[in-house]
Amino acid sequence: MNNSLAARRLRRREALTGYAFVMPQLIGFTIFVLIPLVNVFIYSFHNKNMLFGTNIFIGFDNYTKLFTNDSLFWMTLKNTFVFSVLLVPLNLILALLLALYLGDGGFGTRFTRTVIFLPVVTSGVAWAIVWKYLLQSGTAGPVNYFLSLAGIPGPNWLTDKGWAMVSVVINRVLKNLGTNVLIFYGAVMNMPQDVIEAARIDGADSFTLLRRIKLPLLMPTILMVSIVTMIGSMRVFDTIRLMTDGGPEGSTMVLVYYIYHQAFKMFNTGYASAIAVVLFVIVLILTIIQWALRKKVSHYES
Amino acid sequence: MKRFLSILAVVMLLVTFTVGASAEAVNMKIATWTSNEDQLKLLGSFVDEFAAQKGIEINYTFESIAFAEYNTKLLLELQGKDAPDLYWVLETSAPAFIASGNLAKLNDALAAYNPDDISAAALQLWKGGEDVYAVPFSTSPFVLLYNVDLFKQAGAKTPDELIAEGNWTWEAFREVSKQIKDATGVWGYETVDGDGYNSRVLHNLLPIIRSMGGDAWDENYEVKIDSAESVAAVQLFHDMLYKDGSVVPPGDESSFYTGAAAMTCSQISRVSNLDGVEWEWAMCTLPGNVPVIGQAALGAFSKGPNAELAAELVAYMTSEPCAARIAGIWPPCRFSVLESEAFLTSNARIKPEQMASAVAASIGTGRVLPSHQLYPQIEVEAKIAYDKLWNADADVAAIMQEVAKVYRTYLQ
Repeated sequence: MNNSLAARRLRRREALTGYAFVMPQLIGFTIFVLIPLVNVFIYSFHNKNMLFGTNIFIGFDNYTKLFTNDSLFWMTLKNTFVFSVLLVPLNLILALLLALYLGDGGFGTRFTRTVIFLPVVTSGVAWAIVWKYLLQSGTAGPVNYFLSLAGIPGPNWLTDKGWAMVSVVINRVLKNLGTNVLIFYGAVMNMPQDVIEAARIDGADSFTLLRRIKLPLLMPTILMVSIVTMIGSMRVFDTIRLMTDGGPEGSTMVLVYYIYHQAFKMFNTGYASAIAVVLFVIVLILTIIQWALRKKVSHYES
Repeated sequence: MKRFLSILAVVMLLVTFTVGASAEAVNMKIATWTSNEDQLKLLGSFVDEFAAQKGIEINYTFESIAFAEYNTKLLLELQGKDAPDLYWVLETSAPAFIASGNLAKLNDALAAYNPDDISAAALQLWKGGEDVYAVPFSTSPFVLLYNVDLFKQAGAKTPDELIAEGNWTWEAFREVSKQIKDATGVWGYETVDGDGYNSRVLHNLLPIIRSMGGDAWDENYEVKIDSAESVAAVQLFHDMLYKDGSVVPPGDESSFYTGAAAMTCSQISRVSNLDGVEWEWAMCTLPGNVPVIGQAALGAFSKGPNAELAAELVAYMTSEPCAARIAGIWPPCRFSVLESEAFLTSNARIKPEQMASAVAASIGTGRVLPSHQLYPQIEVEAKIAYDKLWNADADVAAIMQEVAKVYRTYLQ
């Protein structure tokens, strides 16, 4: 009796200690994530305008307008997908190749590792401003100047409708590649060497080794990184804001940038919230799909 | 004992004084987009004078918000508990701010003003019906700054020489711009702050459009941007850019202020950028002489705890003596100041005759940039259409029709 009481008391104390440990994180999450998130959902059903101070419940009107009467929304939605579709594969393939190269530990790997990671620790704002300077039109920008030395007329990277999105994507890949390389590098270093060695002894060449052994072993990491990279690409803001301001002709205006315009330039807080909810749902669906895929393609997950 | 009593008396006096003062001290927060120490000190001295005149104590603070984020941050603060009591308003936001009810009516506070001293045209934008909601402290015409050395080098007639001849037209402007580019290899013209293809597209095009008889829209919100005159004006600029290749193109960051372009459109608050340049510069009116004006005004927050006092402070800070003292930075819309000798010498960097011809004369005749309650929406959507102009083979007339369609959607 006495014993069980003591045990219960101990359990309660342990539980309390546990709660005390997670409390700071929980409080922060509630105040800065959960409450704003719930508010966004509530706002999206209101005609809320920060300038005029209006806040009227209008049901699904914001969503109706969004899907039936807002060409800008469809344009930005399309741009967001183009951005992600270009960025995610490019980023993943480059990061994976670099990680495999670094994993070999051959010539120049330490230097490469540093160079690749340098942009990640650089301030995003400084990075974008410097690149805006480098990518100037005509031969004013250093990039085009060097191209002209080789006899290649460089395009107007940021002001040509056909090039702006490509420039922003490449820029973004260069900036964030290091993080993914680092994650892949970790995974490459953790591959069970005995499996690889066994395959080698069985006579597998480099390509077969990569396709049959290394890639399947890396699949859980690849899927995880692809989810994170995709979500990140849907939230791109600073690069767009600083390099193209959504132009030319709205060709680099992505959803988050449109939300910013609606909320903080036009002050349509309610409408902006509705777009944010749509973005949230899109990201959620894509994540669920990838999560489901993960079970199918990756056999080596513990 | 006597000493003790006198000390006691002094202490008590001090206590009553401080208590009395702090009981009456009013807190005032003023939001601006300048962070220039000298400018804020000058504005602060106005508050001190006002407090002394009223016989009260005001604890004031300035809050400098970056220009690009100004409206966003200001509005967030106006929702909160620590809202500014006075704040600057930009011309394009005027109709929206007046309609929002965030600006206090200033009619009573301005009763002492001499109405004949203020240009009615300059005040127009800040009125809702008969009520005045803010008072412009800066009514600054767009002017042309040019690099005299580059004109000499190219053997081109300077704008001032062309003005003297009576030939200062946009066509003449186009010619000298090309002449300089061809002779020196330096760009002939840079758009306003190099931003004429982005957020300042109207600032860039409107002086040409208006002087050729077009407009963005008129007082009755009739859209004029696709009129034959407006299209011809935009075509002229487009030709300069793509046929002559004499204007700093989109995506190129060459700047007049570093000597990489021979002319630019600007306002006198920017002239300080030219401190220390090693070449001679001059200032004159834009070609065509149909001045376009950029305005900024001071208003009081209608829902603040001291709204009435804030309104009086607005009246004081925009009164004639104060306007005269800031005129060298922000030209006023007061005739008494504009016509004074002191105004012509108010900016040490600018020659009196330039101040008279390019600034003072333009304020009387100039028109403010267009604005509308839904301007932020209009701006975002119109920009997508305007962007199409910046291709060599752009069909200017068709694009201006597209811009007009966006304008009409919101204005009518």
